[in-house]
Amino acid sequence: MTAAEIIPSFPAATRVWRRNLRVFSKVWKGALLPQFFDPLFYLLALGFGLGTYLATVNGIPYKQFVGAGLMSSAVMWAATFETTWNIFFKMEETRLYDSVLSTPVEVQDLVLAEVAWAATRAVIYGTTFTLIVAIFGLVDSPWAILTPIFLALGGACFGMLGLAFTSLIKTMDWYSFYYTLFITPLFLFSGIFYPLDRLPDWVHVVAWFTPLYHLVQITRGLVLGPDAVSVLGNAAWLVAVTAALFVIPARALRRRLVA
Amino acid sequence: MTAAVRARGLVKRYGAIVAVDQVDFEVPSGICFGFLGPNGAGKTTTMKMIYGLAHVDEGELSVLGLDARRQRREVKARIGVVPQEQNLDRELTVRENLAVQALYHGVRSDGRIEELLDFTLLRERAEAKPVELSGGMKRRLLIARALVNEPDLVVLDEPTTGLDPQARIAVWRLLEGLRSQGVTLLITTHYMEEAERICDQLVIMDGGRIVSEGAPNELLQRYDERNLEGVFLQVAGHELRE
Repeated sequence: MTAAEIIPSFPAATRVWRRNLRVFSKVWKGALLPQFFDPLFYLLALGFGLGTYLATVNGIPYKQFVGAGLMSSAVMWAATFETTWNIFFKMEETRLYDSVLSTPVEVQDLVLAEVAWAATRAVIYGTTFTLIVAIFGLVDSPWAILTPIFLALGGACFGMLGLAFTSLIKTMDWYSFYYTLFITPLFLFSGIFYPLDRLPDWVHVVAWFTPLYHLVQITRGLVLGPDAVSVLGNAAWLVAVTAALFVIPARALRRRLVA
Repeated sequence: MTAAVRARGLVKRYGAIVAVDQVDFEVPSGICFGFLGPNGAGKTTTMKMIYGLAHVDEGELSVLGLDARRQRREVKARIGVVPQEQNLDRELTVRENLAVQALYHGVRSDGRIEELLDFTLLRERAEAKPVELSGGMKRRLLIARALVNEPDLVVLDEPTTGLDPQARIAVWRLLEGLRSQGVTLLITTHYMEEAERICDQLVIMDGGRIVSEGAPNELLQRYDERNLEGVFLQVAGHELRE
């Protein structure tokens, strides 16, 4: 694989991203609502339901604790949907990428564009949910205004992970493994619903290797009053992993689409 | 005049299968050049190597004077592609499909799109989605899309397969119009009458190799046949359609 096959062109990637924005601008009402209700129901059921019995966690009101965590999972789900089902459909069903790759766009531009788009969608969903959390009065710190930047990093990381998986699978059946063995466990075990502090050390070690844990650390920090070093450290983890994974879909999609 | 496409010793393998086997050909600029042969002859693979959707395993391939192996972006900027499969953007209307194609190419589109809607007789369906179009209209849209960047060379893979006779004639008229504007056309087909009607020159492919080449009339004379079907039978040793 040569440099010409791995280094993306930003103008070309921007064009593909703009196509996605154009499609989204036509369907956003139908697309935005369902995914937006999901974290809202979790917030109501757990934060306001269970939270009635569990007053505080580490001194933080439970609904506030959960609300800040759910901002992260909203991002995870949005970015993951985008680069799993949606990408597979464009790749194998409508053969859209064959037509895009017949223009000056190359495979690595497509990878950059789709991950950037997944991050964009994740920011739209995550920020909307952040506003809800703020409306419920669960935001303490003015630093929460910076949340979208970090939601974008988290969205890019989950977008890249989903795209890497998509680029390697032959049929959509594999997604049930991706969701049940990866995404759902992350949702449950990344510190959204309970802190990991009092759990055994190995839990922390495992959690450190998962992206959602880092994103939850960031969003909770920003909403409740941040520790700048912790926020930036977790953000660096997300950026590093996203960048390191780039080569997987870039190579696998080239093999797949440019045989 | 330089050749629009020049291939020397072109080879493409898929595992143990040799899809294109040491192929040489030269497409002069400004004509309609055909690849005639049955399914599986290697025509589509040859086209994909030209428009950058298949890697060249061996040999040299120059497209519009550029190295198709190393200058892919430059090549793709100057050609138009009409694929065999319908890969229109289903989420977008006819007009938006053309606008997004201009976007991918980074070219201004305003006047060009209107011109193409007229040229391909799609103006009245400009706001329709691909799913609402007939087979012939979809094919015309694919042709319009391939022309957005004002290409010097248009590659068309089986442009009339699956179309009814009327729609086929409409596509032929478009292609004749393009050729008269000086655009080089490269088409694959397994229809004899199509090759005879619109191709100035053609090669006959079978089993990944080029088995004969020339102008349609020249081939008929050389093999003393009344149609290309007979020519194919002589040079390939089997029928074009099995």
